[in-house]
Amino acid sequence: MNPRKINAVMRKEFIHLIRDPRSLILAFIIPLSLILLFGYALSLDVDNVETVVVDYDHTAMSRDLIEHLDASIYFQIKAYARNANEVGEYLDHGSATLGIIIPPGFARKIKSDKGSPIQVLMDGSDPNFSNMARGYVNAFVAGYNNKLLLSFLNRNGLERINPPVEGRIRVWFNEDLESRKFIIPGLIAVIIMIAGAMLTSLVIAREYENGTMETIKSLPLSALELLVGKSVPYFFIALTNVFISVLLGQLLFGVVMKASFWLMIFGSSLYIFVALALGLLISTVTKSQLMANQGAILLTYLPSLMLSNFVFPITNMPSVLQLFTYIVPATYYIDILSGIYLKDLTFTQLWGDFAVLSLMFIVLAALNMRLLKKEGL
Amino acid sequence: MTPSNNDVIFVKDLEKRFNDFVAVNKITFTVKKGEIFGFLGSNGSGKSTTIRMLCGIITPTSGQGFVAGHNILTQAEEVKHSIGYMSQKFSLYEDLTPFENIRFYLGLYSVPSAQWKERMDWVLDMAQLHEVKDRLTKELPQGWRQRLALGCALLHKPDILFLDEPTSGVDPITRRHFWEFITDIAGQGITVFVTTHYMEEALNCGRIVMINLGNIVAQGSPSEIVSEICPDKPDADLNEAFITLMSRGQQ
Repeated sequence: MNPRKINAVMRKEFIHLIRDPRSLILAFIIPLSLILLFGYALSLDVDNVETVVVDYDHTAMSRDLIEHLDASIYFQIKAYARNANEVGEYLDHGSATLGIIIPPGFARKIKSDKGSPIQVLMDGSDPNFSNMARGYVNAFVAGYNNKLLLSFLNRNGLERINPPVEGRIRVWFNEDLESRKFIIPGLIAVIIMIAGAMLTSLVIAREYENGTMETIKSLPLSALELLVGKSVPYFFIALTNVFISVLLGQLLFGVVMKASFWLMIFGSSLYIFVALALGLLISTVTKSQLMANQGAILLTYLPSLMLSNFVFPITNMPSVLQLFTYIVPATYYIDILSGIYLKDLTFTQLWGDFAVLSLMFIVLAALNMRLLKKEGL
Repeated sequence: MTPSNNDVIFVKDLEKRFNDFVAVNKITFTVKKGEIFGFLGSNGSGKSTTIRMLCGIITPTSGQGFVAGHNILTQAEEVKHSIGYMSQKFSLYEDLTPFENIRFYLGLYSVPSAQWKERMDWVLDMAQLHEVKDRLTKELPQGWRQRLALGCALLHKPDILFLDEPTSGVDPITRRHFWEFITDIAGQGITVFVTTHYMEEALNCGRIVMINLGNIVAQGSPSEIVSEICPDKPDADLNEAFITLMSRGQQ
């Protein structure tokens, strides 16, 4: 490795970037818009479920139930309907996603110890959402029953008794269960892939398309020197993107890192290496900028988004697909980042992810050097 | 047979196969220091494959080859340091200025930075590009770009200059200037190895090798080749000799 040669390649790449600002703009606009778009629009949290209520009973007890419902942060009473048909209309228009119908005789049945159903209608067109809403409804009903039982016992002169089993749930790492705290680390992984791999996927293909590759092969330049020189400018672009994302995550969404900043930089640099190596390999193999770009979208952007535990939980995937997630670099980087962002983990707990990323980098780079050597570099 | 001191290129039984296809079939020739050596052949004759082997870009399947004293089978890096190569596309970066293109080559040839200014000025003088050195290369006329590409290939004072169809797509005046320049270079002791399709250009070469279907079919000075190939036609020229030779294998 001759630093003078690397420097020459690096300078040239920098100039290409400056002369063709389109790719530079791409390098910064895409991350920015992704952060804003995903950060504001993609919320996986379900709260304030819009609820419409019909009360056929009109008793103190039915009103008490409704009050409790409204007081919960999980439900927001949108309207009081007069009958069940109206509830249907609300659900049809999507102006409410949950309908609760309290039948006539509700209070009477409960007081005579017969038990009364209440009807819950739910918009199931978004299964993810309705699953969570169903959980809330179940928890709410159980809680309300508990309250009724206790007051019944108390009224009958029995001492206040404690429920036999009580689950005391304490959420760790992301105490408020805010999905944003998980979205930001995942977004950084996707952004780095775009900035790192999609841009570098063009740089070797461009040499082939311009006919300059033939000259480069005749120059005393090794494959390693070419790859390193071409990577440097993009490494800094990607690293800048990490900083921008971390900063925006903190400023706009209040997502603050818990663990070491330097560990984050170390992990990000390693992941950037993998992204650059992947992009350059795609470039060497395709030799065409158009093909390389499409290949990069298919092999870097989409897997990082879909198969990395970011949007879709890996544990819910079919087992064949789960195997694929093991070769997606973002899976490991997201693990590192969420460990740093949410859990205050140290290198001793994360070294496995670091090791896998290092291995991926070495394999990708070695493969590329082999291919380029075969071509005559 | 080993290379003598005067042989700047020495090739013996050099062969290149791509799987079953024999691109270059055990060719043997030498080029002397300071010669303008023409390497002629039709498209697909094995011309480019030979140049790429001599420049250390691809490895021969068998045979020997020495370029500027370096073994092309084992010393590709040293070979690349002692040659300059200009392809027909000139291979410049069009979004870089001449100055930046030259600086790129200075770095890649690891020219010591103390010599950068002197080498830069030398190329800009030679290519008469001082005034346009900060303009984008794509804005320059074809002939100017050709001079720049040539200058870049000569930056590190190579022993041998390889020119692969250097004048295709260049107008006749530029082409004449180009050959004057090449003659000048050879006079300074740099060996010039050139391929071309234009037979009137090949007349500028001291010695010529013609290759067809991977085999050497003629070698010697242009006049020797003409009289050997067309002995019964006193007014035959190199063009006719070339066509005669190239059509032999096609039947």
